[in-house]
Amino acid sequence: MHKAFAGLHLHCLPCAHLPLVLPSLPTRAAGHCMPRHTPMSNKKIDFLRMTHLRGPSIWTYRPVMEVLVDIGEFEDFPSNLLPGFNERLSAWLPGLIEHRCSPGVRGGFLKRLQDGTWIGHILEHVSLELLTLAGLPDGYGRAREAGPRGVYKVIISAAHPAVAKRALHMARELIMAAVEDRSFNIATHVQELTDLVDDLLVGPSTRAIVDAAWNQRRIPHIRLNAGNLVQLGYGSAQHRIWTAETDRTSAIAEGISKDKDMTKQLLAACGVPVPQGEVVESPQQAWEAAQDIGLPVCVKPGDGNRARGVSLELTQEADIRAAYDIALQQGSEVIVEQFITGLEHRLLVVGGRLVAASRGETASVTGDGRHTVQQLVDLQINADPRRGSDGSLPLESVRLRENSPEVLELKRQGMTPDSVPETGRSVLVKRTGNMTTDITDIVHPEVAYMACLAAKVVGLDIAGVDVVTPDITQPLHKVGGVVVEVNAGPSLLMHLNPAQGNARDVGQAIVQHLFPEKESARIPVVGMMGDADTSRKAQLVAWLLHLKGWATGLACSDGLYLNQRCLQSTGGMDFENAQRLLINRNVDAAVFETDVRLLMTEGLPYDRCQVGIVTRMPSTQNLQDLFAGEDDRMPGYIRTQIDVVLPMGTSILNADIDAVAELAQYSDGAVTLYAQAGTHPRLIAHRAEGGRTAFWRDDVLVLAQGEHETEVLSTQRPAVARLLKDGSLSQEDILVAACAAWALETSPDLIRAGIKSFGQNAHSH
Amino acid sequence: MQVSRIRALRGPNLWSRHTAVEAIVSCNAADTLVAGLEQQLRRTFPAIGLIRASSPEQTLCLAHALEKITLALQVQAGCPVTFSRTTPTQEEGTYQVTVQYSEEAVGRRALALAQDLCQAAQNGSAFDVEAALAELRELDEDERLGPSTGCIVDAAVARGIPFKRMTRGSMVQLGWGSRQRRIQAAETDTTSAIAESIAQDKDLTKAVLHAAGVPVPLGRPVENLEEAWRFAQEIGLPVVVKPLDGNQGKGVTVNIVDREHFGIAYNAANKYGQVLVEKFLPGQDFRLLVVGDKLVAAARREPPLVVGDGIHTVRQLVEQVNADPRRGEGHATSLTKIRFDDIAVARLKVQGLEPESVPEKGQRVILRNNANLSTGGTATDVTDEVHPEVAARAVAAARMVGLDICGVDVVCESMQRPLEEQSGGIVEVNAAPGLRMHLTPSYGKGRDVGQAVIDYMFPPGNDGRVPVIAVTGTNGKTTTVRLTAHLLKANGLRVGMTNTDGVYVNDRQTDSGDCSGPRSARNVLSHPEVDAAVFETARGGLLREGLAFDRCQVAVVTNMGAGDHLGLNYITTLEDLSVLKRVIVLNVQPDGMAVLNAADPAVAAMGPHCPGDVTFFALDAHHPVLATHRAQGKRVVYVENGSIVAQKGKQVVRIPLSQVPLTRNGQIGFQTENVLAAVGAAWAVNTPWDAIAQGLSTFISDVQGVPGRFNVFDYKGATLIADYGHNPDAMQALVQAVDNMPAGKRVVVISGAGDRRDEDIRDQTRILGAAFDEVLLYQDACQRGREDGEVVALLQEGLQGAMRTTHVESIQGEFNAIDTALSRLSKGDLCLILIDQVEEALAHIRQRVGHA
Repeated sequence: MHKAFAGLHLHCLPCAHLPLVLPSLPTRAAGHCMPRHTPMSNKKIDFLRMTHLRGPSIWTYRPVMEVLVDIGEFEDFPSNLLPGFNERLSAWLPGLIEHRCSPGVRGGFLKRLQDGTWIGHILEHVSLELLTLAGLPDGYGRAREAGPRGVYKVIISAAHPAVAKRALHMARELIMAAVEDRSFNIATHVQELTDLVDDLLVGPSTRAIVDAAWNQRRIPHIRLNAGNLVQLGYGSAQHRIWTAETDRTSAIAEGISKDKDMTKQLLAACGVPVPQGEVVESPQQAWEAAQDIGLPVCVKPGDGNRARGVSLELTQEADIRAAYDIALQQGSEVIVEQFITGLEHRLLVVGGRLVAASRGETASVTGDGRHTVQQLVDLQINADPRRGSDGSLPLESVRLRENSPEVLELKRQGMTPDSVPETGRSVLVKRTGNMTTDITDIVHPEVAYMACLAAKVVGLDIAGVDVVTPDITQPLHKVGGVVVEVNAGPSLLMHLNPAQGNARDVGQAIVQHLFPEKESARIPVVGMMGDADTSRKAQLVAWLLHLKGWATGLACSDGLYLNQRCLQSTGGMDFENAQRLLINRNVDAAVFETDVRLLMTEGLPYDRCQVGIVTRMPSTQNLQDLFAGEDDRMPGYIRTQIDVVLPMGTSILNADIDAVAELAQYSDGAVTLYAQAGTHPRLIAHRAEGGRTAFWRDDVLVLAQGEHETEVLSTQRPAVARLLKDGSLSQEDILVAACAAWALETSPDLIRAGIKSFGQNAHSH
Repeated sequence: MQVSRIRALRGPNLWSRHTAVEAIVSCNAADTLVAGLEQQLRRTFPAIGLIRASSPEQTLCLAHALEKITLALQVQAGCPVTFSRTTPTQEEGTYQVTVQYSEEAVGRRALALAQDLCQAAQNGSAFDVEAALAELRELDEDERLGPSTGCIVDAAVARGIPFKRMTRGSMVQLGWGSRQRRIQAAETDTTSAIAESIAQDKDLTKAVLHAAGVPVPLGRPVENLEEAWRFAQEIGLPVVVKPLDGNQGKGVTVNIVDREHFGIAYNAANKYGQVLVEKFLPGQDFRLLVVGDKLVAAARREPPLVVGDGIHTVRQLVEQVNADPRRGEGHATSLTKIRFDDIAVARLKVQGLEPESVPEKGQRVILRNNANLSTGGTATDVTDEVHPEVAARAVAAARMVGLDICGVDVVCESMQRPLEEQSGGIVEVNAAPGLRMHLTPSYGKGRDVGQAVIDYMFPPGNDGRVPVIAVTGTNGKTTTVRLTAHLLKANGLRVGMTNTDGVYVNDRQTDSGDCSGPRSARNVLSHPEVDAAVFETARGGLLREGLAFDRCQVAVVTNMGAGDHLGLNYITTLEDLSVLKRVIVLNVQPDGMAVLNAADPAVAAMGPHCPGDVTFFALDAHHPVLATHRAQGKRVVYVENGSIVAQKGKQVVRIPLSQVPLTRNGQIGFQTENVLAAVGAAWAVNTPWDAIAQGLSTFISDVQGVPGRFNVFDYKGATLIADYGHNPDAMQALVQAVDNMPAGKRVVVISGAGDRRDEDIRDQTRILGAAFDEVLLYQDACQRGREDGEVVALLQEGLQGAMRTTHVESIQGEFNAIDTALSRLSKGDLCLILIDQVEEALAHIRQRVGHA
């Protein structure tokens, strides 16, 4: 990542390329603008406009919400001039001490508060702190003067726009309450925001995969619905996930996994141990079957749900006969099955490998002759500080609801929640679904093999294999363990957040499965910005890539194109439309033209690109509604196009314009400079360093790197001359497109042929 | 007539290659097919056909009639069956009746009905043939694969791909082992679950298709007229305007093309609540079938409808249409009768009609809102009309959603122009699309979409098979199976193997006990980690159920000798047994190989029955059968100058016996024969010679290798040999092998299995009596129907007048017998222990050896 973006996860590092720097000391306010003693009610914070920047923007790579704030009279009241404000704020939000802010040390932001800072800046930090409390730490934030007095741009990261908006509004309410010395219920607000996060963001299993993809492989993602359907990677290189299912998860296999009986048959045929079972039709048959299978047995309804009608660990004839009737009440058939003594384990298999395993622990209470089971549960189980009901704690409280599996478990032991067990009697409350312990490292290789085989036999690429065995460190056949179930789309939570033992990076395993190390998740992306001169350049690049045999998408001011077919003639550059190219599984390469207005109102429609091109440095003149400032700020905006170039990619810059050529410093990748003439000093210098350059010499297009030169084509050729003459292309268009094609390893022959044939086939549909 | 035992032969069997029911039928004098009885049968069931016996000397009786009736009932019910046969057994009046079936349940039911029919004819009572046929037809329709699955399976069979139904429904395994694939109706095992979920969500489908540049009827709710018009222009005219929560078509205006009309429509819809603007797709309903990345079929679909003539009522018009003989009730025909039910009446109401209304001449009256064939809709094949651009959109849609087999629903005017030119679009994509409308459209040409699916799943040259080697014979099967599997493993294959000790896949035991039957073999063929399979094919399973596979690449017959288990299951002579064991040879695939023992006349005689080539093996390089075969330039394996020689014409490979420890330098003749057979088998599946040589050198017949097969131990300087041999041929071979080993005193411990003929039990000790000084007899654990002491008595009879034996002793219990034998040994002695409870006895011997 580039140096200027290196501080992404730290709040308020000065942004080197931005001229909008918040005054570091409140001299201006304190100097000539003494606080007037006006009523507090006149102080207010107006949100003039909220802009959701969905892609890389002038601020950061990440999606952010930019709010244009008018702080009105607060301009005269920095924090040090608001009586009691700082104290209330830091009391309500003790976490603010972690905000380092510009001093760069713990407590840095509190220092700024004491010294006096403005409401816009406070809004940023309070919003971020609220998001942190709602489970979204590591937010990004900025506050900058927009231009007019009292008007600021406040930027906070927006994992979801509605969450960011709500956080900003909440922060404003909180600040006003602190200013006006009113009460503010932090807990209920945080809860509301937490609920919103849970509702709107992807679930934790999906998040684990998406984060692993980004953090370890820099694989981008696009969410495809309001739920957990997400694509990883772009275009034809993408894979889709839906929670813990992938686009390689077979529908037939899923169907098999849901049919427990069929699963058992298939596993048994391949030598995977499963519990023996028989469907029986009378209490007498149940007892006979139990003797065949071997005691103890469990008796259960064949199609019942959960624990209803299930009787476990039966050894007596009378009990088995009785259990038959209990089971029959809950389902249409009754199964007598071998009762496996052992613990429940969940083994997670991804792509034929065991990647995590956990063991479910049972929960019991011990009687004292005084308390009821209900009371004992609260005293002995729920008192554990790791237990709770809000989902933020690793363990759930145990509740004895009517007909719950827990109460049925008690019933099997002849008890109710109100029974008072005698002293020393151990009462089993929960057999499964209790706390989990990571046991990945102790699983015997034979058990791991059996779990992987079970997944394979069912046909699942990702499977949660349930194993019941007395000892997971021994082969199943040695200790009488069995595979009881194979689950599609298994929850990853128990592995990500076990109550005991190591967390496992199962997200990474899934990403590795979908994208083996050498497989790229990206398709070639070419992005370009200039000054209304880039449409034809983009079209020519797309044409050359099309001729390369890539199904190429093109988003430009003329519209949206796929394989030279026009999908629509307007709004092609808009984020929403442009992103369609990356969602499209049929696209092998994509070319994006973007203008500064879209950059400042929507962000770039891709996260990074292989080729980033800047041709001109536009004026800020028409961007005053966006508070773009003077022209000297433009390089600070346009550089985004170069910031997003991948390390293995290429930045292509116009050396004839100094401000453009100077963007080379921001490129993580290689730089190609082009100019009308090869004699341009920047070109000569760049070539001398071994860099790539392109220029016209005697009407001949030359691509040159160091000593090596290739003459690509001449304007004297009739086909080229005609294109130049009728205005279909300019010499600069040819120069830029040739550089882009060169960066994507296109042969000079194909570049020449492609330029000559431009327009001959395009838009034929 | 008495029918005593009914079996379903689920694979190639003693009688034929077909699946069949087999019954044991006993007839007495009253069951003779006299003219009166035959007439009565024909009166009841005229389709019975000619009743003939397989040989002229047989007297025709009811068993023959039963055979023909069972077959004819199935034929009349529409089952594609042709084979039937009645074979007399050596028991007077008892026959084995075998009749082919296409569905097991139908075959069994037909047999039961045929019995009833015979009974009725004999008693002169009534039998309702029509009801019986209707029952069979219905049963057949329930049991057999539906049209979509059926056409795929048929295409697989045509390509030589084996299949196995995994459920009673439509889930089918195609191919075997690691090359298997699965289908469920028109879904494959690579059909993505996520893609199916996307296809089920219409809005999400539209969104992803739109992203891919596929025209879809985009739509969204709008707040006011201005926004509505803006959106209408954005998605392009014509549009539909309707209330978001509309019903019965109130407030809906379709095909709006201008601003004025749009305003009126907006206000009309607005009366019923929030307004939805959606792109209007004019035209007809089409279904395009995409398989892989190809469009393979297209059909235009019409809902069930009648056209008014100004005279008849709707009800009468429907009756007229349903009178069409092509319209049937179920899925069997290309047209189904139009149902005149509540749904149809409700649909009429929407069109302002009643069942008794008389529609105007030319008026199209729709009776259902969907175009499914099963509710009376029609499909017209339009595959050849599809414009390449339309096909490209359908393929892009399938790919975008992620479905490998996909039914794409298109609404447009014509298939002959790009969708974009005619405001057409894709309204839905379907996973697991029905194929019937393409296979047997109501009008136009049927398309072989099953073949398209199979060609997509199995590229040319891939028939989904893994090499299958079937091994049978009297002795040496298990060792040959294990060694063959070991040789294939040396070539890097994951081998599945069944034998009398269990099932092994890639060296893991997946089942135990006698696994030489078809069930175990089927399990191996369904195991996803099996690259090649070697099956011990015992007579029991073959008789009970037939083979587990339709054909094999290699059939190995080790020997027949004097036979074993004779007298069971109507297999009484060596010839009967040969015919039975020959079944695997008969079912070798045309490019496969039979590996046969040239030295065993009964085995060598099987050669001409093999559809593929033959490899002969023999210890004797000059055996005439082998020598002739060699001279003909065909494959032979034999022993010469201390080497195994594999030869085909001028191609000769030699492997010294000194590098094959199993043969103890060729000393153990029967093991050497097993090695020759295994080499022939490995060669037949193109195992490289270095892998074969390496495999032979690493195969040790110790307890780990082949428990109970000539396991040699040292006990205080005496040699112990444990073996599971239990028939005269095995004794002969063992005696030969032991004779080659120098020893002082020779002791043998033996029991006899009860399920052998008396003479076979006696023969065993007769052979041993000539070679051993001391014989210890014990009674084995399972007497298989014999009285206590009976077997030991027979064994003792065999020892009367023994040439060498000087000491005979009967001992209770296997372990006792072993212990007694060990106590009688001195250094340099030799003891052959013929064990019965293989694992337990070996464990006991190992323990005694360990403590020695």
